[in-house]
Amino acid sequence: MLLESLTAGFDLFFTPLAIGLTFIGILIGLLVGALPGLGPLMGIILLLPVAISLPPIAAMGFLIAIFVGGSCGGSISAILLRIPGTPLAAATLFDGYPMAQNGRASDAIGIAITSSAIGGLIGGIVLIIGSPILARFASGFAPPEYAMLAITGLFAIAIISGGSLFKGLTSGCLGLLLATIGTDEFSTGYRFTFDSYHMLNGFHIVAVVVGLFAVSEMALQIMGRDLLKIPDVKVARPGFRSIFLTLRHWKNLLRSSSIGVFFGALPGAGGVISSFTSYAIAKAWSKPEEKYGEGAEGGVVSVESANNATVGGTLVPTLALGIPGDASSAMLLGALLILGFIPGPILFEQQPEIVSGLFMVYMASNVFLLIAGLLVTPLFVYVLRIPKFYLIPIVLLLCSIGTFALQASVFDLMVMLGFGLVGILFRATNYPLSPIVIGLILGPVLENNLRRALLISQDGYWIFVERPVSAVLVTINIALVIGGIWYALQKMHIKRTGNDSGA
Amino acid sequence: MVINAKFLNWLVTAFFAVIIAIVFQQIATSMTEQGIASGGPYNNGAAYPRSISIAIMILVAGQIFVDQFIASNAQKESNLHTIRDLRRPAMLLIIFAVYLGLLKFLGYHLTTTPLIFIIMLICGARSIIKLLFVAILVAFSFAFIFEEFLSVVLPGGIFSFNIPW
Repeated sequence: MLLESLTAGFDLFFTPLAIGLTFIGILIGLLVGALPGLGPLMGIILLLPVAISLPPIAAMGFLIAIFVGGSCGGSISAILLRIPGTPLAAATLFDGYPMAQNGRASDAIGIAITSSAIGGLIGGIVLIIGSPILARFASGFAPPEYAMLAITGLFAIAIISGGSLFKGLTSGCLGLLLATIGTDEFSTGYRFTFDSYHMLNGFHIVAVVVGLFAVSEMALQIMGRDLLKIPDVKVARPGFRSIFLTLRHWKNLLRSSSIGVFFGALPGAGGVISSFTSYAIAKAWSKPEEKYGEGAEGGVVSVESANNATVGGTLVPTLALGIPGDASSAMLLGALLILGFIPGPILFEQQPEIVSGLFMVYMASNVFLLIAGLLVTPLFVYVLRIPKFYLIPIVLLLCSIGTFALQASVFDLMVMLGFGLVGILFRATNYPLSPIVIGLILGPVLENNLRRALLISQDGYWIFVERPVSAVLVTINIALVIGGIWYALQKMHIKRTGNDSGA
Repeated sequence: MVINAKFLNWLVTAFFAVIIAIVFQQIATSMTEQGIASGGPYNNGAAYPRSISIAIMILVAGQIFVDQFIASNAQKESNLHTIRDLRRPAMLLIIFAVYLGLLKFLGYHLTTTPLIFIIMLICGARSIIKLLFVAILVAFSFAFIFEEFLSVVLPGGIFSFNIPW
């Protein structure tokens, strides 16, 4: 079964276009990961308009490779500049930067890349084994289960995405509301279209996401005082020796990768939580002579293997259930929908070759990461020297041409700009942006299944607690909200106590 | 002049108030006229957005309560920005909006090079010849990649200015 599902995707993946784009995706991923302020999500968002004009597996290979490369690329700037390119690499600083200070920058980057690739491959094994099992289990799900599952995904991400519980949930609800714009699938009535034909299908998700994330990020970047500064970066040349250095920490590698996969599969948890957790556990289990925090190889191994294993983990619920684990996988799910595929058990049953092709591109991405990462890193070191005043117009130009290319529509550009302003306001007031994307993606899943469930129900909303799986999900949802409130109150109490004692 | 967190919180509250007002206005007018504002789960296209709006209302009210009565003074005073801090992002957004507005009218090639050039000037770069070279190079490289490899037809504007690569 496993072998069959893998071989089915061979023909789709082994084409020059798919392999070439997966390799290019890794290079772009490393680039956006290494440049502070961009990251894998931004890379996927900026290149989504390019990808959707390509054949499905080549397109998904390109985007998944950006996700994989971007999750690793942040470590390069963390090690060389002491600025993590992405929050995922924040914990890489603890030991990566001291290693660079001790004259071992090449080793640190080599270990980071090797750990990321091996962690990603371990995540891939779990993805290949776990997602068909989960999809088979979910094939018995009916509308009540899907509706509750969508709520679980949204709640988890809204609550864990950082900041206030109220703000996270409000952002998620805004995403759900945005998803209702356009033609109602049931009644075929028009909702919030204002008699404009542009609005009949709602806002294009790419225009919304590019505005929310990329335009607002550039507006914030331009406030910085280091726009003309050329960072002082030393050249690093990691070699294949790094593989042996990394494999010396094989227990740490396996443990941290497992932690990464586990947190990846939980909606909302993501790479940041998994990398800090695996670092803390690796440090707790380390010998005193390893000197974590002063340039321990094990520190870099734990963080990097965990955050790339998270990518494999997060793809499990994304592919098997159609419920994304974080904003980046939500964008991959969005890309699959735009390309005409509906992730979930039906995809596994009816188009196993596509699922298998996705497995192949994910595994290939990690192999390419190892090869390209070790060979091409000196080039990325030069890229880090590019001052920000060149990058800001390039990113904005990519936003506009990419968004325009979707439907050759100036309306989409205006939507992008409008959501850019919303993104700035939300960032300024600490409203998280990721739940909006999740809400936008899960909105139709939630509404359609909620209404279908109520249509087939004899007892109104009781249908959600009469079915065992749905009842479990209702319980989880209630627990998430109660846990979120408790956590928020605890956090507030700690802050108040801290401020009072500080005063 | 200083923009503080309190002002920004009221701004975001006003944003949500406008969204909720639009939802209820549309339910009362357009959706009622179409006959999709009432009935069972199949016909009632308004029930779901109405419920989401009510949820947003409750959540925003909860956040206001937290901001007013629970959040510490330090949290209330965070995110302080002066108008001077916001000058560059404001200029960037204005220039970007003007660019998007003119894109269809004047076309990609006549608007993009000036956009890149002006953004670099806003960032503080002053080496005019170098900036001009970079702006032209970036604008034409992007046009080549999108038009040649991705078959995107970029706006030619009233002069129909497109390069046959």
